[in-house]
Amino acid sequence: MILHCDLDAFYASVEQVLNPELAGKAVIVGGDPRKRGVVSAASYEARAFGVHSAMPLSTAVQLCPHGIFVPPHFEVYGRYSKQVFDIYRSHTPLVEPMSLDEAFLDLTGTECGQGPAAQVARCIQAEVKSATSLDVSIGIATSKVVAKVASDLHKPRGFTEVPPGQEASFLAPLPLRRLPGLGPSAEERLAPLGLRTIGDLAALPIEELLRRLGKLGFQLWEFAHGIDQRPVSPPGDPKSISRETTFDRDLDDVGRLELVLRNLAQHSAKSMRDHGLCCRTVNLKLRYENFETMTRSHSLPRPTVLEDEIVGEILQLFRQAYDRKRKVRLLGAGVSNFSRGSQQLGLFDEPPSKQAAITASLDRIRDKFGWQALTVGPTEEIEQRDWRREDLSE
Amino acid sequence: MKVICPQDNLSRGLAVVARAVSTRSTMPILSNVLLATDGSRLRLAATNLELSINCWVEAEVIEEGRVAVPARLLQEFVNSLPSAPVQMVLNPANRVVKMHCLRTDGNIRGVSADEFPAIPTVEDGAVFRQPAHLLKEMINQVAIAAATDDSRPIFTGVLTTLGPTLSMVAADGFRLGLRSAELEGGPETETTLIIPAKSLLELARILPDGKGQDEMVEIALSPNKNQVIFRTASVELVSRLIEGQFPNYKQIMPKEWKTQVIVPTSEFLNAAKTASFFARDSANIVRLHFESGEMAVRAESTELGDNESKIDAIVEGEQSADIAFNAKYLTDALNVVESEQIKLEITSAGAPGVIRPVDSTDYVHIIMPMATSR
Repeated sequence: MILHCDLDAFYASVEQVLNPELAGKAVIVGGDPRKRGVVSAASYEARAFGVHSAMPLSTAVQLCPHGIFVPPHFEVYGRYSKQVFDIYRSHTPLVEPMSLDEAFLDLTGTECGQGPAAQVARCIQAEVKSATSLDVSIGIATSKVVAKVASDLHKPRGFTEVPPGQEASFLAPLPLRRLPGLGPSAEERLAPLGLRTIGDLAALPIEELLRRLGKLGFQLWEFAHGIDQRPVSPPGDPKSISRETTFDRDLDDVGRLELVLRNLAQHSAKSMRDHGLCCRTVNLKLRYENFETMTRSHSLPRPTVLEDEIVGEILQLFRQAYDRKRKVRLLGAGVSNFSRGSQQLGLFDEPPSKQAAITASLDRIRDKFGWQALTVGPTEEIEQRDWRREDLSE
Repeated sequence: MKVICPQDNLSRGLAVVARAVSTRSTMPILSNVLLATDGSRLRLAATNLELSINCWVEAEVIEEGRVAVPARLLQEFVNSLPSAPVQMVLNPANRVVKMHCLRTDGNIRGVSADEFPAIPTVEDGAVFRQPAHLLKEMINQVAIAAATDDSRPIFTGVLTTLGPTLSMVAADGFRLGLRSAELEGGPETETTLIIPAKSLLELARILPDGKGQDEMVEIALSPNKNQVIFRTASVELVSRLIEGQFPNYKQIMPKEWKTQVIVPTSEFLNAAKTASFFARDSANIVRLHFESGEMAVRAESTELGDNESKIDAIVEGEQSADIAFNAKYLTDALNVVESEQIKLEITSAGAPGVIRPVDSTDYVHIIMPMATSR
């Protein structure tokens, strides 16, 4: 059986746990509503007013003027998430994180040790609650798509089990909107058919869906019947790691841009080292105010983990690429072309351990005291807007 | 110019000079090969300004003359001819070379020989002599360690010291090869040159191998000391020198070791090659593990699988040790050690490993290990 575990209003709930005064109130995570930005999360109290994530902050403040706006604390969410994921992993090694607050768990083969899936799910809910005070909604089914629909059905603190064989009949009465994979454009193309429920879609001849939606039609038809062959796959090594930020106001101050870029590069390099990887390629992303986007990469003669080297190379790419007459909307720094935990040492290097030792010490300090504890060179800490998938694997 | 030359001679001569022909379009004249009569021989010459090669082939010279001809066309044409005398007649009026071999004819449009750059030669100055087969072996042992990319030009060169002994050193920043041998007529005071490894490898390609041959190579410096010349009976190779300071390699040569291992070269090479197939997908890492008279050569790829070969070894010093090398560096070095057994000396997993032949002290190959987290 497959579990879909989804923490309820995660960022907002963490804020409420940290600050009990917020409990029971409309909390909107996303920062200063007067600035450019979107809602990262909203508590159930705020959702009652129609606030939802990805909504512009300016809209949220109109819908819910008494809402309490708090800036996001991603490092804290990361710690909570890790705690919860560790609980998941104590029940099965097959955990596929979808985001910081959402994961699929495959419990196949754990029954004889732990009992039936429903029992494990109840146990997970209780463990998460006692360890973090957070609520998690769980859907249990034979496939990912049905488990996902199930977890979403009775939020918050949802618990929905779909017994084997009843997938199609479970989905059939639900509104079409609940079916994963059905985006706005597909919905538009199906509109003339007047479908209301997932069952309506399942009842269509597959040819009709293929004709209207192509390959996606086939997948939707399968989903509507509760058929989903995708396995739960724990994340492997990422292919690339990057950090980017969109400025509140478009910038042409080279000094400031470089400060931010240093910080993005440092974060990318650290995340890469956390995966135990070395990179051979550094990447730069630069988006000007007119949305024209350029990317540049440079390959090093050999793999590296060194903070100094990676930051330096990315800065150099920026200095070569940036057209100083133009304002920048977005900056990104990243690393790719990974190899695992090995590095060719050089014959004529500085004592090889020196830079490596500095980098390792930096990482230890950051892990223990956070990024604010120590900065390297002139940098400007950017406000992290969200987590990325590559951060989710361990 | 009117010359008759056996097709085989001509073909061989063109193959020797072909590697110096420039393919860059900025100076079209350099895509030609110069044909010039020289006594009873025909001189073929090509240059890319960095490397120039002259090659003399036996020919029947009926009428003297010189002309530059498109190298690629000439070589392809000559290679396609039957093994028979080739007659070449230059029409000075339009510089067309009329070629005739049995029943095949060809007319190739040439360029005035005066447009062809002069190739420096040495008439006087100190000349040293080294057996051809020995020089070839030295180059092959050392030049593999030179860098092939231009990110640090000094590393594309071979530091060559002419003194009582001839020594050659090359390094690419990760490995180093050092070979020395007595130099006949070598001077008391040492002269050092940095010769592009590419030029030396061309020289090695041209030189005959086999120790039975007693052909000698003459080594000389051009009068302005910016070029080096290697000369055999029929070939003269002139190379530009690289300017700059070669890193102080003596400083990084390990002075001592903690573990010394003696193993048969061919067994080690085979094991390293086998491991390299598995290492291909994981940064080319080959791990060596020494334990009680045995060396294990291992490689693993998380996705594809793993491999281990064991070899009997004589282990001196600390009996148990581990080190990891790039598979290519290891196989390159083992390929050129001319010895049935090698010594591998290591100090720690992060310090350079040294490979030497057991039976002589004139060759050293140093490889930096790979630092691995596991």
